[in-house]
Amino acid sequence: MKVLKRIINSKYFMVVLWTVLIVTIWEIFAFIVQYTKRTPVNVLPHLSGILESILSTKTINGSQTALQMVLVNAGATLSRAGIGFLIGTALGFVLALLMNLSGTVEKVAFPYLMLIQMIPVLGMAPIILALTGDIGTSRTVIAAILTFYPVATNTLAGFKGVQKEKHELMYSYAASKFQVYVKTLIPACLPSFFTGMKIAAPMAVTASILVDTLQGGIGLGCLLSQSLKGAMTRYVFWQIVLLSAIVGILSFVLIGAIEKKVCPYNQKTKG
Amino acid sequence: MAGMLAAAMLVSLAGCNSEGSSSSSGSSSESSSASTSAEDMTDEERIISAAQAGKIGNWGLGNEYEVQALLTKYGQPTDYVSMDFTMDQFDQDVITLASAMTYNELGLVQNDYEGGYGYGDSVGIIDMNDEGVAMLEDMIFCTKTFAKENPNTVRAFVSASLKGWAYACENPEEAAEIVYAAGSSVSSDHQAYMASEVKKLCETDTKGNTVTNYGNIDDEAMQQTLDLAKQYIKLSDSAANEKLQSMTLDDIRDASYLTGELGTPEKTDVSIQLKWLPQAQFMGYYVAEAKGYYDEVGLNVTIIPGGGDIGETTAVNNGTVDFGVTWVANLISANASGMDLVNVAQVYQRSGLVLVYKK
Amino acid sequence: MDVKKLKSRLASVTAVLYPLLFGVVLIALWQSQILHKLLNTTTLILPLPTRILSVIKDNLPAIAADTWATVSVILPGLVLGSIIGYLLAVFATNSPRFGATGLTIIAAISAIPTVALAAVILQWTRDVSTDVDVRSYVMKLIIVTVVSVASMTLNAYRGLTELKPFALDLMKSYAAGKMTVLLKLRMPNSLPYIFTSLKVSVPACVIAALVSEYFAEKITGVGRRIRECILQAQYSTAWAYIVTACVIGIVLFAVLMASEKVVMRRRNS
Repeated sequence: MKVLKRIINSKYFMVVLWTVLIVTIWEIFAFIVQYTKRTPVNVLPHLSGILESILSTKTINGSQTALQMVLVNAGATLSRAGIGFLIGTALGFVLALLMNLSGTVEKVAFPYLMLIQMIPVLGMAPIILALTGDIGTSRTVIAAILTFYPVATNTLAGFKGVQKEKHELMYSYAASKFQVYVKTLIPACLPSFFTGMKIAAPMAVTASILVDTLQGGIGLGCLLSQSLKGAMTRYVFWQIVLLSAIVGILSFVLIGAIEKKVCPYNQKTKG
Repeated sequence: MAGMLAAAMLVSLAGCNSEGSSSSSGSSSESSSASTSAEDMTDEERIISAAQAGKIGNWGLGNEYEVQALLTKYGQPTDYVSMDFTMDQFDQDVITLASAMTYNELGLVQNDYEGGYGYGDSVGIIDMNDEGVAMLEDMIFCTKTFAKENPNTVRAFVSASLKGWAYACENPEEAAEIVYAAGSSVSSDHQAYMASEVKKLCETDTKGNTVTNYGNIDDEAMQQTLDLAKQYIKLSDSAANEKLQSMTLDDIRDASYLTGELGTPEKTDVSIQLKWLPQAQFMGYYVAEAKGYYDEVGLNVTIIPGGGDIGETTAVNNGTVDFGVTWVANLISANASGMDLVNVAQVYQRSGLVLVYKK
Repeated sequence: MDVKKLKSRLASVTAVLYPLLFGVVLIALWQSQILHKLLNTTTLILPLPTRILSVIKDNLPAIAADTWATVSVILPGLVLGSIIGYLLAVFATNSPRFGATGLTIIAAISAIPTVALAAVILQWTRDVSTDVDVRSYVMKLIIVTVVSVASMTLNAYRGLTELKPFALDLMKSYAAGKMTVLLKLRMPNSLPYIFTSLKVSVPACVIAALVSEYFAEKITGVGRRIRECILQAQYSTAWAYIVTACVIGIVLFAVLMASEKVVMRRRNS
């Protein structure tokens, strides 16, 4: 009984519970699909099938197995997404800072920041390609463009959310503007900044995969369309879907961990 | 007419039920009369019934004109259902008459190797060439400015590429392996199938006659392509539309680079952007590269795979790449919008597009 | 008092004036092709504003139909997704252990790229209806909904949990129940966060709707037209639709900002 209680109270019990829940739902539907569709793998395969394809040593092209292929392409895409995300985050933070410093900057820039997000990648891509002259760089740039907005919006909201009392207290201490920022505003906006990052991180991955499809070559996006169109086992597609979900979880957990490290004091206020 | 429609509806219903293996035997015995009439249907009846049911599929995005011409030919509206990357819609009977390229999707539908659907001989096809609505597809193009400034490069590139095509068509199996080794991720089985089908497209014209001079620009077929393009490419931009309607063959093709003495290339490092991912559809270029044909004429060629949303026409027009492989209809609409592209070698002599149906 | 009023009126005027001025400068640079030189591009790839406008003018009915097709996916999807997202956040707040772990799952689902998600949803909605119109609509709606859920859940959860210090203790000292805490403390506290979330999810939903149209079986919508035109190198028409997409986004955003102002003012007063 005590052991059971300890298991239930353990940190990882909920993770396991969720995993079991999702796997069960997935498998129920996979069974339904299995008996109603001619080609069930295309609609919803069993998780065991995906696992099998991950472990399979059969080569898909001349040299790589399904997993190797997915990982090599994922490496290319994720590194682009990572760089794009870092650039986008840095830009987003700086812009939020500038917008908070100057009302004029905010008024001018904010609507256009939003506007840039609205321009579909397809319209932007040929221009950025012509500008950078290299498809790899273009992909990184577009990933950055698509990620900095959530960071900027959330960080700005964080700045604005700082309580007036805190602000006034600092002024009463005759703190300089710089001091106000470093001591109160920036620490106070960090939680919002991290929420922005949490939203932006998956966006960077999504954007990076989307821009892969702008031109052929190496990348998850290319592999994705190949796995659907080409004569390739459909499991490659499912591996990509699974992998991107896992990357999403990892990015979320990672940023959460960094957040805890950077601003532990924030945890106390959580009710 | 009504009876036929009813029959068509019954067939499609039977199709829906036959997804599960157990139910298919039951439904086929019940509606045996309907399914035999489906097999006896003429192509015209097939097209009309599928069009009426809204079950004709195409990818759109510039690939739809032949199908629309076919629909017009049989007095049907030109609407179609958009197909995704896969043939799943056909497999699941969402579409009964699906677009397929003979060398790619048709192979996937028929064959049972990895990624295939394994329908074998239980599917039939309606060929655009036979229906007289063929439009020419894969060809080599560059900008007119590039061709004018680098005539020797263009001539050398065309000559070496076509030598590659000739070798590939003579040895399709070897060509398939070369493409496979060059980094295709399409399985070697499908690659071999594709090579054997592409060979047919390179060596037969729209009327079924054998062609021996690879890359030949057949003006009659080209004119038919242009005429159909003028009729079915719908451009919202009035300026572009005017340009399209006044376009002549001289605006889109130049056969002079197919012949003539080779000189010293003005530009030796050139690149070619394919229309799609590396596969035997483009085996000629990979063979020319692997066999050293490009080296022989003094060219250093980079093959850039396509398959993306930045079209090959845009890439060539931007100067990001020197040559491209595209379909004639795509070049026509690109030129209508103000690009300056020219077809220098027509690699495929007939249309590879068919409509596939379950018998 | 009057000075204050004047100041706030001035602020609201400049809030419109500054971006407008910037826009005018931008369009002037664009029309005079200085922008093209800066971006190293041609009028073919980035057509002049006058050309784009003339295409829009010539094709107004068609563009209106496509706009409606797109907006009719975005709005219900956004509303539905945000409601689901908020409910999930409430659930996560009330059962911190089970629900909070679920947040990670939501984040993971939102990390599945729209392109892959569209391909999957397309498969799963094939049996929804034999009517292509219905099937396509459901598919697009689901994609937009899924995209808007994550942003709302993550933001609303923060709004519901990050309370002012001692506020919760105060409520507890009043012996307030869980429900009262939720209604009187947590929900009002989450209001600004809802707007932050929407500011992110409105553009995201517009993009998601456009991408979902690439895959939809029914050929309609602003996104589909943009892709069609780009692939056929019809850049002036493509830009006419890109401008349309931007207008959709701006209008939605303006409505959002206006309602934020109204709601927040009422809340503060």
